[in-house]
Amino acid sequence: MFDRLREVLGKLDVDYADIRYEIKKATVISFDGKELTQIGSNSTDGYVLRALKDGGFSSVVFTKESDAEKAAFAAAENARLIAQNIEKPVSLTKAEVVKDTSLPPLKEDPREVSVAEKLELIRKYNDIPLGYEKIATTSISYQEVIREKYFTSTEGTEIREDLVTTRLSGEIISKDGDLTQNVRVKAGGSEGFSTIRNQEKNFEERTKIALDLLKAKPVEGGTYTCVLNPEMAGIFAHEAFGHFSEGDIIEALPAMREKMKMGEKLGSDVLNIVDDATLSDQLGFYKYDDEGVRVHPTQLMRNGVLTGRLHSRRTAAEFGEPLSGHCVAEDYRYAPIIRMGTIFIKPGTRSFDELLSMLGEGLYILDAKGGQTAGENFTFGAQYGYLVKDGKLGEMVRDINISGNLYKTLVDIVAVGDDFVLGKVGGCGKGQINIRSCHGGPHILVNNLVVGGV
Amino acid sequence: MEKLLEAAKKVCDKVEVYSVQYTGSSVSFQDAKLHDIDSAYQSGVSLRIIKEGKLGFAYTKNLLNREELLQNALDSLAGGVEADYDFPLTKELPQLDTYNPSLEKLSSKQMVEECARVCDLLKSETDGEILASASSHIGDIRIINSEGTDISGKATSYSLAGIVIYPQSASGIQRSFHSKGFERTPDDSLNEIIELYNISSRVVEPKGGRMKVMFMPNSMVTLRWRILSGTSSKSVYEKTSPIADKRGEKIFDEKITVCDDPLNDKYPGARPFDDEGVASKPLTIVENGVLKSFFYDLNYASKLNAEPTGHGYRVAQWGGDPITTKPVPAVTHMSIRPGGRSFAELVKSMDRGLIVEEALGAHSGNIPHGDYSIGVSPGLYVENGEIVGRVKDAMVAGNIYETLKHVVDVGDSLYPSDGGAWVPAILFDDVSVSTKS
Repeated sequence: MFDRLREVLGKLDVDYADIRYEIKKATVISFDGKELTQIGSNSTDGYVLRALKDGGFSSVVFTKESDAEKAAFAAAENARLIAQNIEKPVSLTKAEVVKDTSLPPLKEDPREVSVAEKLELIRKYNDIPLGYEKIATTSISYQEVIREKYFTSTEGTEIREDLVTTRLSGEIISKDGDLTQNVRVKAGGSEGFSTIRNQEKNFEERTKIALDLLKAKPVEGGTYTCVLNPEMAGIFAHEAFGHFSEGDIIEALPAMREKMKMGEKLGSDVLNIVDDATLSDQLGFYKYDDEGVRVHPTQLMRNGVLTGRLHSRRTAAEFGEPLSGHCVAEDYRYAPIIRMGTIFIKPGTRSFDELLSMLGEGLYILDAKGGQTAGENFTFGAQYGYLVKDGKLGEMVRDINISGNLYKTLVDIVAVGDDFVLGKVGGCGKGQINIRSCHGGPHILVNNLVVGGV
Repeated sequence: MEKLLEAAKKVCDKVEVYSVQYTGSSVSFQDAKLHDIDSAYQSGVSLRIIKEGKLGFAYTKNLLNREELLQNALDSLAGGVEADYDFPLTKELPQLDTYNPSLEKLSSKQMVEECARVCDLLKSETDGEILASASSHIGDIRIINSEGTDISGKATSYSLAGIVIYPQSASGIQRSFHSKGFERTPDDSLNEIIELYNISSRVVEPKGGRMKVMFMPNSMVTLRWRILSGTSSKSVYEKTSPIADKRGEKIFDEKITVCDDPLNDKYPGARPFDDEGVASKPLTIVENGVLKSFFYDLNYASKLNAEPTGHGYRVAQWGGDPITTKPVPAVTHMSIRPGGRSFAELVKSMDRGLIVEEALGAHSGNIPHGDYSIGVSPGLYVENGEIVGRVKDAMVAGNIYETLKHVVDVGDSLYPSDGGAWVPAILFDDVSVSTKS
């Protein structure tokens, strides 16, 4: 394989080039309610080639090997065109030349579990919510994605790495009269099919929430102090903060770049945020990114002070900061971009009960339901929540969407819990989907969140 | 493809082979400077087979091994996905003008020059940060099936988007321009960005409450998503649509008419057939506020005993590769009928309210139920008929089945919006806005 890839690179008259060939094996089993709507395994493949010439850096993706020459020519031509039209040439931070093969250790290889057995298991889980009268329908999908990646560059790096992702995700939809409610259910990870086993309790619990939501009241719009559960804390770390730790995003926003300088104190003293894709047995695990750079644990914020950033070779050079190994592609259809690996708020010292009593009066909100940011402003949904009075959990509320300002919220995170949970299913969309995007943290206490009622 | 069809026909009752190839280029500018140029050459083949009422599905990017592809499809039959429908025999199709050959010759250099021109103009007239991107796409779809259908279509599209971002943020004013061939971006589009940006540079912190809210083309995705969730045959079949039994009833204000016209080739993306080979035709979904029709693909039409409407498209919620995606009911050419009021007139008619330029979190919340709760990015605040500034932290929330009953007026121009839609600005009354003040 590497010989063929080297041959393509050999045709290029450029300063640097790399090529990634990838075979992607995907298995899908989907249910909409009782009905099985999709099942099967398929294999697809393709190439991504990048070229740097005179300070212009360009990429091309192609499907057919016979298009290699045309693609290589286009990449070189576009790189030259960029070089002629930019003031500041692109350079790449020097990376270690590596020859390595990284095949993940798996607890039960999904390739060795038959499709029939997988189908039976998923059907069994799907039947749990459907057994309740007020569950209108479900939408449950098992997806297994195996990326076999071959990366080589003109610098001599040669890496074969496999990434095996299993994910079980979907929605349980309850209905009473005209009112419908939905709750998400998730399982999966990077360490094999074992992550999909024994999910009966998970499905029972999520079903109960979907049913309870039919009796919950819509939350009233207004400004609240909130305790966020680990998944909500994780989505804050990812959406509101994490994206602005990504070199390519912040590079495009000069004013934010000015504000997010290393050493700036932006958060409260209790806030520590880390991205660590080297944590094993976690959804976000990988060894090398799609530029062939080994991933490092990166402390992004320490006691409220900005201490690190996620980089590609290009942005590391642009910012004059160390490589972090976070330039990752969805698959063979994309050149890599900067992605978080496993981002989380580090646990603190407060117990959950302490957080509730510090909150006094407000909301306890749980489990993310979509989130989006535009610079300093963010909006996320929570799947459900509880009113809190005198530090005690009260009645359940629904239709919770919070919105806030990054800088204000970083300061408004006033206490951090001592527990810690990381997500099992990812799906960050930043032009490409990253199904291994992993985030989490402890419970946190946040002042002044705007909650939109309905 | 023909060989694959023949081989599959020997072992199955019904067969469909879908193939696509496309080339694309994109150029992007950040902070008014050239940042990236990327190109793509992609292709693939997707196979659907039906045997004894069960569906098999398989796909590949490189058709190197026909037997393996067919075997994957045969293997998936064992799952027992029901398919109680036939693939269509489609022959006579209208000739649509979807292909502009000049796009084949469009160079990255020309796109770079056009983006640079747009950036220079936006930069000279505003103090914001400028982003611009242009992309070209040439695609070729072919569908053959065991009924004898053999149809194909070639299409070109070009688009350019310009954005001016308020300093210290990532929200701003964006307009995009779409055409079948390369065209200079009209001054009107660019002037609109400049005008709206400059008039809203001051940050204001108004009190929340119920007020007039205008959805703009870029935030209309919030309403579009929920309208299409309610009118999809899939939601009707699954009983998650709150309007499943309301055909013929008034569900929205009479100023609201929602149509889908895939045959309209004035804009790029017109389609004489859908991704299942069913001939396209215009469909009125809501007329003067009355629910007229749901939209169907082959599968849900058969389940609901209805006629397919030509709305089976290989789209996923977050894009995705058509090759790897099974057809689902989807509307890809939606439009909302424009009204008689200019944007300026609509603003004048607002005593107090918010113009939502772009929505944050349009995809979260209880979509089937029609609920929305979005952040504004930005929201332009109007007092006494004039835009007085922009609001940073505010949420607009409601339910489309309520909001769309309170239409003040509909704007007179159509703008491109997400998902191939063309929509006007719409002004609503009595919508909930939460702010920090």
